[in-house]
Amino acid sequence: MIPITKRLVEFILFLFLLSFISFILIKLAPGDPVKRMLQVDEVSVTKEQIEALREELKFHEPVYIQYWHWLKRFFQFDLGNSYITKQPVLSELLSRFPATLMLTCASLIVMILISVPLGILSALYKNTWVDHLSRLFALVGSSIPSFWLGLLLIEWFSIKLGILPSMGKGTVKHIILPSLTLGIAMSAVYVRLLRSSLLESWNEDYVKAARARGIKERRIFLSHVFRRALIPVVTIFGMSLGSLISGTVVVEVLFSYPGIGKMVVDAMIRRDYPVIQGYVLFITILIIIINIFVDICCRCLNPEIRLKGVEKR
Amino acid sequence: MLQYGKRIWILLVILLLVGCSQSSSEEGAKSGKELTVLFNFPTSTIDPHLDSNYTAVRAGVGETLVKISEELELEPWLAEKWESKDGQNWMFQIREGVTFHNGKKVDARAVKESLERASKDNPAVKAALKIRKMEADGQRLTIQTEEVFPQFPSELVHPNTAIIDVAEKDFDKKPVGTGPFKVASFEPGVALNVERFEKYWDGKAKLDKATFAFNEDANARQMALRSGDADIVFRPPVENLEQLKAEKAKIESVPGLRTHQLIFNMDSPYMKEENVRKAVDALMDRKEIVEHILNGHAVVAKGPFLADFPFAPSYEEKKSGIEAAEQYFTQAGFQIQNGKLAKDGKPVRFKVLTYSSRPELPLIAQILQAKAKELGIEMEIQQVENIDEYLAANDDWDFATYSSLTAPRGDAAYFLNAAFMPDGALNYANINHPKLTAIIHQLNKTVEANERNKLAKEALKIIDKEMLRSFIVHPNIIVAYRDGVKNWVTSKSEYYILTKELDVEK
Repeated sequence: MIPITKRLVEFILFLFLLSFISFILIKLAPGDPVKRMLQVDEVSVTKEQIEALREELKFHEPVYIQYWHWLKRFFQFDLGNSYITKQPVLSELLSRFPATLMLTCASLIVMILISVPLGILSALYKNTWVDHLSRLFALVGSSIPSFWLGLLLIEWFSIKLGILPSMGKGTVKHIILPSLTLGIAMSAVYVRLLRSSLLESWNEDYVKAARARGIKERRIFLSHVFRRALIPVVTIFGMSLGSLISGTVVVEVLFSYPGIGKMVVDAMIRRDYPVIQGYVLFITILIIIINIFVDICCRCLNPEIRLKGVEKR
Repeated sequence: MLQYGKRIWILLVILLLVGCSQSSSEEGAKSGKELTVLFNFPTSTIDPHLDSNYTAVRAGVGETLVKISEELELEPWLAEKWESKDGQNWMFQIREGVTFHNGKKVDARAVKESLERASKDNPAVKAALKIRKMEADGQRLTIQTEEVFPQFPSELVHPNTAIIDVAEKDFDKKPVGTGPFKVASFEPGVALNVERFEKYWDGKAKLDKATFAFNEDANARQMALRSGDADIVFRPPVENLEQLKAEKAKIESVPGLRTHQLIFNMDSPYMKEENVRKAVDALMDRKEIVEHILNGHAVVAKGPFLADFPFAPSYEEKKSGIEAAEQYFTQAGFQIQNGKLAKDGKPVRFKVLTYSSRPELPLIAQILQAKAKELGIEMEIQQVENIDEYLAANDDWDFATYSSLTAPRGDAAYFLNAAFMPDGALNYANINHPKLTAIIHQLNKTVEANERNKLAKEALKIIDKEMLRSFIVHPNIIVAYRDGVKNWVTSKSEYYILTKELDVEK
C-alpha cells in the first residue's frame, strides 16, 4: 500500500511541476492568440482594440497569477475553453483521442505483424540472405520519410489498384494506408532489436540447461528465449507508444485522419494556450499509464524482476 | 500455441473482410447526384459564427445578408435591399419566403438574434460590425452602428455573420442555416457531408448530396482527384498541373483577392527616404516572379487591389530595373564605392524579413537579394515564424515580404484603415501620413458610393506616388476538377463553393 501511495504522491507532484513548466514555456513564447481571434488579416481593427482584448483575457497579468487562475479551474476539473473554437478543451481532446488511439493500435498491429516474423527469421538464419534482407528492410524503412512512403502507398493502392481510399476516416479501409505508413517505419527498428535480443537470449545459460534436460526446441524458444527477448522490446515499445500517440502529425495531415497530434500543432501555431496546456497534461497522464503497463508486462515476462521485489521486502 | 496463432490470423482476416464489405456496401448505397470538393483548410468546428475557415458558407449551409458577386460588387442575399441616409442608421429589408433548414421562417427578429450571437461570441465580428443597437419589426431590421460606418453592408458579407437559427443548440456540428444544403454529418478535420434542402428559397440545388472534405497536403489533394476520391480540388501542386491535364482534369486559375507585398519600415533610417523605397521597388522583377515562382499563376500587381474593383485607379507606369534603382539610390544620396552601395561612406546592408507559411515569399526575397547584389547591396534575409508578431514587436528590419487579402468583402476601407491609419492593426510600418489619414477619415464618413471610390483612388494614388508599400503580385486561385463536373465557378472571394447551380453528370 505504501509504495502505491508514494507513487501517487510522486505522480501528482510531477504533474504540478510539469504543468507549471509548460505554462511558463508557452507564455514565454512570442505571440498570443489575440490577432487571430480578431482576424486582423480580414477585419479592420485598431491597436487599441487588440490591447483591449488582451486586457479582457488577462494576458497582462504576471505569469504566476495566470497560472494560479488556471490551477484553480483545474481543481474544478475544468481545463478551460479553446480561444479559437470556444469548445471545452477536455471535450476537444476526448473527441480527437479515439482516432489517435485507433491509428496507434492499427500501426502497432502492422508493426508486430512485420517485425516479429522478420525478427525471428533473421535471428534463426543469422548471416544468411534472410538476415541480409531484413537488414536492408530496416535500413530502407528507417530512412524513408513517412510522408513519402504515404504518397507511394496512395499511388499504388488508391490510384493504380483503386482498392483503398486515399484519405478520410470512417471505415476499416480508411485506416489501412495510414497504419501501414506508420507501422512500416516503426517495424524497421523493431526487426533489428528483436533479432539482437533473441540472439542474446539464445546464448544464456538457462537455455543451455533446458536443452541439456531434453526440452523440445520449440518449447525452449517460446517459453524462455522469446519471452526473455521481449523485455527490451517491450520497454522500447512503451516509449514508441508515447511518441506514436502524440506525434503522428505528418500521417494525420496526409491522410486527412486528424487526431490529437494535428490538434496540438494547430493550437501551437494559434497560441491557443488552454488547448496546449490541456494536451500536455493529457499526454503526460497517458504516458505514465503506458509506463505502468510496460512495467507490469516486464514483470510478467521476467519473474526475476518480481522476485527481486519480494526479496527486498 | 500455433493454434492460437492461427486463430488470431483468421480473426484478423475476418475483421478486414468485414471492414471492407461494410465500406463497399456503403459505396453501393450511393445514389443520385453527388460530388466531393476537397479544400485546403481543415476546420474543427462548422459553427458559422466562429469557424475562421467559413466552411458553413462555403459549403452552401449558411448565407449572409449581403454577398459579393463575381464582378466584385455587393449583391442582396438574405437582405432584399438596404438603405441609410447618414451611414449610421440602417434599414435592412429581410427577404420574404426564406426558411431555416428546420422549417422556421426567417424574419428580422431571427436575423437580429443571429447577429447578436455572432457579435457576442466572436470578437472579430463585433469589431467588424460595430453594432450599437438593433430593432426588429416583421421583415424590417433597423441597425444603428457605433459611428458613421458607410461600409457596413460590405461588412455583412463576412461569412461569420451568416444567419442561423440560434434557438438550435448544436452550432458546432449541425448549425441550422438557410442555404441550398443542410448538414447531414460533420467529422472535425475530415469532412462535412451535406444534403439538398428541398425548400430552399431560391430553387432547389441540382446536387442531391455533397461532401466538403479537407486536406492540407497539396500532393494528397491531387492524388485524391486522380484516385476519384475527390471531384474538385483546391490548390493542387502547380508542378502537377500538366499531369492532371493529361489525365483529363480541367484546371481553372483565376486571380484571387490576395496581394503579395513589401512593407517598408518607416522607422528604418534608409526606408524613410522615398527614393530608397522606390529603388527597392524598381529592383522587383514582377514578371520573373509571376513566371518562375508562381509558374504563370498570378498577375502583376500595380496596387493593393485587383484592377476590376471600381475603386482601383489607373496607375502611371513606373521605372524598373537595375538602372532605375541606381538612379533612385543616387537621388537619395547613395554612392557606389568599389562595387558596393554606400551612404556617407558606409556600406549599405538591408535586413529583410520573410516567412514560410506562404512558400513563394522567401523565394521573392531571394530574387530581390540577387538583384540587389548586382548593384552591390548586401541584403540579409531573416525568416521568422510568426511575421505579424515579429513586425509588431520589433523595429530592427528595413522591409518585409507580406501577404494579405486586401478587399475581402469588396470595399477598400478595410485595407486602407488597417494598413495606413496610424492605429491600424496592420500598420507595422508605422506610417503616419497626415494627408493620407485625412482622406481615409473622409472615406470613413462618406456614404455615397461614387464619392467613396473617388476618395479611395485618391488615397491609393498617394500610396503609389510615395511608395508607402510596394505591391508585387496577386496570386491565382487554382482549382482542378474532373470531367463531368458542371457549372463550376471559381469564386474570387472563395466564399461560395458549393452552390445550388453546381452539378455533376451521373
